[in-house]
Amino acid sequence: MIDLVAARVHYLVTFLLLGIGTYMMIGNRNLVKKVIGMNVFQTGIFLFFISAAYIEGAGSPVLSSPGPYVSPLPHVLILTAIVVGVSLTAVALGLVVRIYDEYGTLETDVLREVRADE
Amino acid sequence: MTDIASLRPIAAVLVSALAIVPILASGHRSNIRESWSVLAAVTMLGIVASMVPGVLDGNVYVTDFGTFLPGIQFALRVDPLGLLFGLLASILWLVTTFYSIGYMRGLGEHAQTRYFAAFAASVSSAVGVAFAGNLLVLFVFYELLTVATYPLVAHDETDEARAAGRKYLAYTFAGGVAVFAGAVLVFWLSGTTAFTPGGIAELASADPVLARVAFALLAAGFGVKAALMPMHSWLPDAMVAPTPVSGLLHAVAVVKSGVFGIARLVLDVFGPDLIGDLGMGLPLAAVAAFTLTVASIIALRQDNLKRRLAFSTVSQLSYIVLGLAVLDPMSLVGGLLHIPAHAFMKLTLFFCAGALHVETHTDDISNMAGIGQRMPLTMSAFAVASMGMAGIPLVAGFVSKYFLLIGTISAGQALFTGALLLSGILNIAYFWPVVYTAFFESPTESDEKPLVSGVLGGRFGGRDAVTDGGTDPDDPDEPEGHRDDHGFAPDHEGQGIQDDIDAAEQLDHDHGEEHEIDWEHRGWRGGESTWFMLAPILFAAAGSLALGIAPDAAVFLRIVRLIVAGATGVSV
Amino acid sequence: MSDLAPFLIALPILGSVVALLIGLARSETGWPVAVVAMIGQTGLAAWLAYQVFTGGPIEYVVGGFEVPYGIELVIDGLSASMIVLIATVALGVLAYAHAAGPRSNPFYGTYLLLVAGLTGVCITGDVFNMYVFLEITGLAAYALVASGRSGRSAVAALKYLIVGTVGASLFLLGVGYAYIATGTLNMADLAAKLAAVGYTSTLVQTAFAFVVIGLFIKVAVFPLHTWQPEAYAGAPDSVSAFIAALVSTVGAYALARMILSVFTVDFLAANPLARDLLVAGAMVSIVAGSALAVAQTEIKRMLAYSSVSQFGLVLAALSVTNRTALIGAAVHLVGHAIMKGGLFLTAGLVATGTGARTVDGYEGLSDRMPIAAGAFAVLALAMVGVPPMVGFAGKWYIALGAIEAQIWPLAVVILASTLLTLAYFARLIERMYFREAASVGDGPTAEAETGSPTGDAVLADGGRVTAGMYLAVLAAAVLAATLGVAVVEYGRLLEPTLELLLA
Repeated sequence: MIDLVAARVHYLVTFLLLGIGTYMMIGNRNLVKKVIGMNVFQTGIFLFFISAAYIEGAGSPVLSSPGPYVSPLPHVLILTAIVVGVSLTAVALGLVVRIYDEYGTLETDVLREVRADE
Repeated sequence: MTDIASLRPIAAVLVSALAIVPILASGHRSNIRESWSVLAAVTMLGIVASMVPGVLDGNVYVTDFGTFLPGIQFALRVDPLGLLFGLLASILWLVTTFYSIGYMRGLGEHAQTRYFAAFAASVSSAVGVAFAGNLLVLFVFYELLTVATYPLVAHDETDEARAAGRKYLAYTFAGGVAVFAGAVLVFWLSGTTAFTPGGIAELASADPVLARVAFALLAAGFGVKAALMPMHSWLPDAMVAPTPVSGLLHAVAVVKSGVFGIARLVLDVFGPDLIGDLGMGLPLAAVAAFTLTVASIIALRQDNLKRRLAFSTVSQLSYIVLGLAVLDPMSLVGGLLHIPAHAFMKLTLFFCAGALHVETHTDDISNMAGIGQRMPLTMSAFAVASMGMAGIPLVAGFVSKYFLLIGTISAGQALFTGALLLSGILNIAYFWPVVYTAFFESPTESDEKPLVSGVLGGRFGGRDAVTDGGTDPDDPDEPEGHRDDHGFAPDHEGQGIQDDIDAAEQLDHDHGEEHEIDWEHRGWRGGESTWFMLAPILFAAAGSLALGIAPDAAVFLRIVRLIVAGATGVSV
Repeated sequence: MSDLAPFLIALPILGSVVALLIGLARSETGWPVAVVAMIGQTGLAAWLAYQVFTGGPIEYVVGGFEVPYGIELVIDGLSASMIVLIATVALGVLAYAHAAGPRSNPFYGTYLLLVAGLTGVCITGDVFNMYVFLEITGLAAYALVASGRSGRSAVAALKYLIVGTVGASLFLLGVGYAYIATGTLNMADLAAKLAAVGYTSTLVQTAFAFVVIGLFIKVAVFPLHTWQPEAYAGAPDSVSAFIAALVSTVGAYALARMILSVFTVDFLAANPLARDLLVAGAMVSIVAGSALAVAQTEIKRMLAYSSVSQFGLVLAALSVTNRTALIGAAVHLVGHAIMKGGLFLTAGLVATGTGARTVDGYEGLSDRMPIAAGAFAVLALAMVGVPPMVGFAGKWYIALGAIEAQIWPLAVVILASTLLTLAYFARLIERMYFREAASVGDGPTAEAETGSPTGDAVLADGGRVTAGMYLAVLAAAVLAATLGVAVVEYGRLLEPTLELLLA
């Protein structure tokens, strides 16, 4: 059992991050924290891809010396995904700033009350 | 039977559709607007009539626009059955156009442009239904008809009219969905939806359970517009519409498109033989028999004339469905012939009701005592048409009912014969009081009506004299206020108390000896109303008589014989 | 000729950059740039579609890297119809936006970026690339929704952003599973290797589940639709028309592509549960979407829920996956985009002309704005599926497909959807034509104060109704009413594509 967990600890962490991220997005009332939750969620996915790149017993077509190699493709993919993630965060924070300017609060429940009077 | 490629079918459909544009364009210049309507109606009648000789010779006029959906042509075919309905609709459209002009102007109605435009659209769709070459094209026009008639039903723009409109849309679109589902099933089972006299051959070899489901869906879908019980309740409510609409659409085009759909279904989709094998005729006939009996009984209790007529329509439509469902060649002839017969008679009745409304603002039968003095021609036409409804010889209804009776007997369905006879008696029971009230009573003295309040009717069945001359405490018709049995909102024009007031205003208080209240006397030369309204009434009444006196000379019976011969192979 | 394919993406991106740069020199110059770019795009898309429908699919390898290592662009019949649709609708909405605004250059820059993203999703042949384009689409859409100046748009956009990102991320997770199982990202290659791994492998099943759920969010299938009503209602009118017509449509396209090209029909055959998931999603969406639409008082929210219901129909077709149903899906995707885009444009037109944004505000509209009311009625009836308009054609194919596949409950729901759609449109038609406006005089001002979601921005921006706006609305109404005629021909054009997809 312990072995099993130890061998797959990165998957465990991946889904832990996904869970935490989801919880923050749903459960937290603060908009900035929701955005952070979204980031945590995405980080979980990045980790998933990176860890999947380590393939046991895989060789490399270019290098001949023995040793563990990592498939570069998922890394490249995740670089792209990180860029996407950063832009998303930027847009999200921009929106948060606008919401704060407009309503003077970032708490969803206060926001709902303010907007009910709109 | 030879197919003739021709543009005439599509021209007939398009004429009135195209007329919508100039009608809308000439909005406020009412004379020009109405002349477009009349012009379109005349053109359409001409086009349809020009196809009659060809069809009687066994030809079929076809306009084919190529594939509409895979395996389905967008085709219009003028075969005898289509011609029957198309000819009827185009004749009566012309008549109703004149009548509408008189009616709408007489009342100074609002939104007349929308009214005439929607009217033209409805007739266009109705003719499309008639000439549709397959089930799907029929469905297309069937749905368009619903859309086009909705503005007419909701015309009044009162809460009541809107409610009726909503109910109308809900019922008919639900029916449309059933038709659609049935059409998809038929297409899936047989690979075609084209109408074939005697039925689509592939359906006979299809899974009988699914074939039954398809038949039930289609019959129920068309049954909504044909006002089969329990799907009839939109029809009486839709009577809030202006009377010409009630007349043409709810006694002729809309309800007849439902009945026509069932006729197509029986004759050209499944075929009488297959329906017999599937055992679907009997349930349908039972529903129809139930409807025609119950609707007649309900009609007895309606005081509002249009509502009484509406229930009469529900009942009469079921004659047609019954005739089709019994599947005997004779009953088929009877049912199909009842389509034009009922159309002429019911149109007369509605026109009369409308003329009464325009001229005297009277809608409740209880306020019509002596009205024959005021509107002699109108009420005479009413009398003729109601005799026809009851099946009295020399009027149209007799011929079709005769065939129906013979048909049910020769099919061995004596129960249905009984239902027909019973309903005939009830017909007299609810129409005769109207005629009697109009001609033989005056506003100050009214008698018992046969079957309604006294078994024998007239002065013979009167209740016992009450010594103090007061009201009988047990009499439900007399208490203060007004028994509101017509279901319309109390403030609806021409209803209940309001109707009493309207009617009272029309009474001539200075006329007559001893200051008796009475209707003004107007002669028999048309002083009672405008000829815009009288001429259509007299034409429709004359049509009912012509169909009754010389059915063979009127073209309808010949067409009907042709249809039945084509579908069953038996010449009647 | 296939070398033109990448320009479909490059052209709008280029236009977007140009619009931004010119904006530095002179403001409010974005519109002509966008129009030029979109006319070029429409021409290009039409030309490529012509090539595809006459000469078969176009494949283009980006940068000369061999397939399956490099990124491939593939245009088959399905993608060809989508790119033409995207270009046409984008052009039509531009005609509307000229007067209605927003007018800033960044808006048109983002607009063109959205076009690039949408087109990219439709022509890519690589699943990771698809993720990137989905995110570009998403980013541009979030920004556009937020371009209304009120707080409401910002809140709507943030909600949209968070939910949309989760959807895209789940999609990415699914792609990760598929990658682990096969070691490839090219669609054609994936299809072959997934089959080799075995469709009942847990890895493949998980990949399918994540991809489908992720895309359900993008398509806004009930109950994952929650972002949609706010986003549509909070956005400026031109934007809500644009994204309502295209963003979910492209989401549905991505779903179709993943199911048909990557996982293939054999996967569905091997996993009945997967098909049940799709069928259930479709049925629930159709019914719940309509029910919620009936409950709305705001027009744009009602139309948004109507989208939930209509995409249920598309999903139904995808779950049936026979030829008839798929033609139906394609027809309904195109038809819905036109009808829904037109309805949103009309709603915007009415809001500009009278200030009415609620169901009650539409009372007596036929007197105040007869053309707008007429267009709305036609589009609504087309959506209900009154034959022979385009809404009917799609429904016919989908219903026939469901019956051919003998999935009876689904067939019943599809047929009943006509009535459900009628339920929410009939009350509007009735109000427009058979009720007097409550008080014509103070109606608009009262509405503007209370009912306008994007605040005063929209009203201040485009307080007058122009010919361009009417043109866009009427074009949509005419297309919706007449495209039904072309459906047979279109179905025939799609045949070879579907042959490949279903093989």
